[in-house]
Amino acid sequence: MNYMPGTASLIQDIDKKHLVLLRDGRTLIGYLRSIDQFANLVLHQTVERIHVGKKYGDIPRGIFVVRGENVVLLGEIDLEKESDTPLQQVSIEEILEEQRVEQQAKQESEKLKVQALKERGLSIPRADTLDEY
Amino acid sequence: MFRYQSLEDCPLDEDEDAFQTLGEEDEDIDQFNDDTFGAGAIDDDWQEAHERLAELEDKPATARELEDGAVSDEMELLGHHEENLAERLSKLVIENELEDPAIMQAVQTQPPMQPGGLNSSIWDGSAVLRRFRGPLLTQNSSLLGHPFPPSVTPVFTHLQRAQLLGGAQAGRMSPSQFARVSGLVCSPLTSMNPKLLQGRVGQMMPPASRFRAFFGAPPPPAPPPSQQQHPLCPGSHLQNLRPHPQVFRPDTTHLHPQHRRLLHQRQQQNRTQHRSLNGSAGDRAGHRSSHHEQLRKDPYANLMLQREKDWVSKIQMMQLQSTDPYLDDFYYQNYFQKLEKVSAAEEMHGDGPKKERTKLITPQVAKLEHAYKPVQFEGSLGKLTVSSVNNPRKMIDAVVTSRSEDDETKEKQVRDKRRQTLVTIEKTYSLLLDVEDYERRYLLSLEGERPALMEERKQKICDMYDNLRGKTPGQERPSDDHFVQIMCIRKGKRMVARILPFLSTEQAADILMATARNLPFLIKKDAQDEVLLCLLRPFSLVLYHLPSGTVTSLLQQLANLPQSATVPAPANLHLAAVLQNKFGLSLLYLVLSRGEELQNSSAAVELMQDNQWTELMSMATRELLRIPEAALAKPVSTPSNLLSLFSRYVDQQKLNVLETKLQLVQGIR
Repeated sequence: MNYMPGTASLIQDIDKKHLVLLRDGRTLIGYLRSIDQFANLVLHQTVERIHVGKKYGDIPRGIFVVRGENVVLLGEIDLEKESDTPLQQVSIEEILEEQRVEQQAKQESEKLKVQALKERGLSIPRADTLDEY
Repeated sequence: MFRYQSLEDCPLDEDEDAFQTLGEEDEDIDQFNDDTFGAGAIDDDWQEAHERLAELEDKPATARELEDGAVSDEMELLGHHEENLAERLSKLVIENELEDPAIMQAVQTQPPMQPGGLNSSIWDGSAVLRRFRGPLLTQNSSLLGHPFPPSVTPVFTHLQRAQLLGGAQAGRMSPSQFARVSGLVCSPLTSMNPKLLQGRVGQMMPPASRFRAFFGAPPPPAPPPSQQQHPLCPGSHLQNLRPHPQVFRPDTTHLHPQHRRLLHQRQQQNRTQHRSLNGSAGDRAGHRSSHHEQLRKDPYANLMLQREKDWVSKIQMMQLQSTDPYLDDFYYQNYFQKLEKVSAAEEMHGDGPKKERTKLITPQVAKLEHAYKPVQFEGSLGKLTVSSVNNPRKMIDAVVTSRSEDDETKEKQVRDKRRQTLVTIEKTYSLLLDVEDYERRYLLSLEGERPALMEERKQKICDMYDNLRGKTPGQERPSDDHFVQIMCIRKGKRMVARILPFLSTEQAADILMATARNLPFLIKKDAQDEVLLCLLRPFSLVLYHLPSGTVTSLLQQLANLPQSATVPAPANLHLAAVLQNKFGLSLLYLVLSRGEELQNSSAAVELMQDNQWTELMSMATRELLRIPEAALAKPVSTPSNLLSLFSRYVDQQKLNVLETKLQLVQGIR
């Protein structure tokens, strides 16, 4: 069946390998098996890919059902070009370690920044503590 | 770790320690086992058992017992590791199916176990399928894929199961459920022909969709053909072997008649689908083969049935229905209109094949007038307030109290005034958008409606103008204040620029005058916005329609000279401010240029003789000369006829100075 021209729909993407970026920052790669009108996704043979610098690590996760509102974007992966990447794949332990180190460094720099601002009597309100109105 | 049923074989040697820790629970298990499988099991008629199950409200105790029995089974299942899973499950299936009340129909088959039987893939699938609780099955399928320690025992509560059963019988199932069930319905054929199927493929009529696992269960290395068929399995396999006329099967009698009918419809469609697919299997033509190849390599393909895709597609189409597409989807409509214009233009040139741009045709739903009537109950005293989306209940009785004039402080007054201005701008903007839209409406309307439309349009334009200048009761509009307030706001300036083309010449001239009169103030206020420049273009358009008298007065306004008196002031601050601003200077140039044009035209000879004009010119040139070059703004464009203009009023020396200063000669730039 020829689907609607001039529209965007995930129906043509079914059974293809996709990269999905979630709102919490996770990157999932899996075969898109099923969708619905809210763009809830069913991903098969999903792998969570963690990127740190030029390295990445894959954690196999199995089947994912993602609620549509949590998806930022998703795109089809060209299987031929998939391996054509300057990034280097490493083991899971290594990438988790790298991630931890990166998080730590970020936290420390954030702490220093807040400290410096405090000394000057300023404060940047964090997004989650802002009032809604 | 989960308990393991104490059957014949116990290959889980490594887990003995774990089992021992659960020793105290073993007695319970054994008891349950006995009740269900062993001596304690009553040889119930499965149908009765099922009836009991269906009437859970009446006999909760029974149901709970059954449930508990089933629960332990589930847990055993979950405890298995993948290597031996198939084997063990098959054993379980054979022994227990007859007594298991969860199975709708159990038929004794002769050889209790043929693991390598007819179709191993079906067999494995069915073994997994025995119990149909949704979460369990999905877990099982993933188990077969990779070891996955289940963290939660999926036990349906009493209520949930009742709901599911009730739901199925009422025929309220989602399309996916239908699809699954249709797959199941195909297989009851096997009840007629027990030899065909050792496994209980789909004999259970699931209260809810459970078949995800079935399709998802990956058969351990099975030959490709069976893999390909696997997703379509029960239906195709069975249909090939025994095409069956449409007859209401006895085992579906417990279903709601509507449900049954729907099932059979689905079944028919699936049959035709499967037939066509199988028929084409032999035909390896072009893309078909690659498609099949794809399917072969990907055993999980087409988990989402065509039916389901259509369903989602239908929902998406429904969302596109609109009563007023121009309102709901403005950019889409405009885009396609532009494209069509372009292609129409191309067609005019007699190009070759016109590119076919398929456009989505959305159904235009007629706008239905819904007069909302709040719910009224019969025989109730008074009116009951039922709050709904259309009729939200009033939660707070907020009363607007208007403040008296005395209480207001100065700042509040200023703030209010600004707010008033903003409101005026918004109202005028709406009018403007409407007026701009009239052309389109005109094209769409019928002949008879057009005069009315024109009237409306005119009225709106008048309203806009009134809004701009501020409705004063008196004849004159002495105060520019209203207008200036609007012009102080960025949006107001842009709006004026857009309105000008619609105004009549007098009205437009009036606006121009007001602007010129207050230009220094506006310049000061515009320092942050820098939006005045947007007014240049419409202003210049207006200018070219103005008669000479108006142009003179305009220049006067720019120079801020009262009508009659000539003020030989050393410096004209007004004009100086104008000259130092890009917009001001550009506007001045435009005015001068227009004056020059008028002079050159035959009808405006009197301009030259006009004293005012001469005075103004000399004033302007004086000011231009006086201002240091650095302070002079850079105009947007320098009209070419300024040189000739100035040559009329100043001597050669000054002319040269002006030339260099203003870079009137093109070459210098």
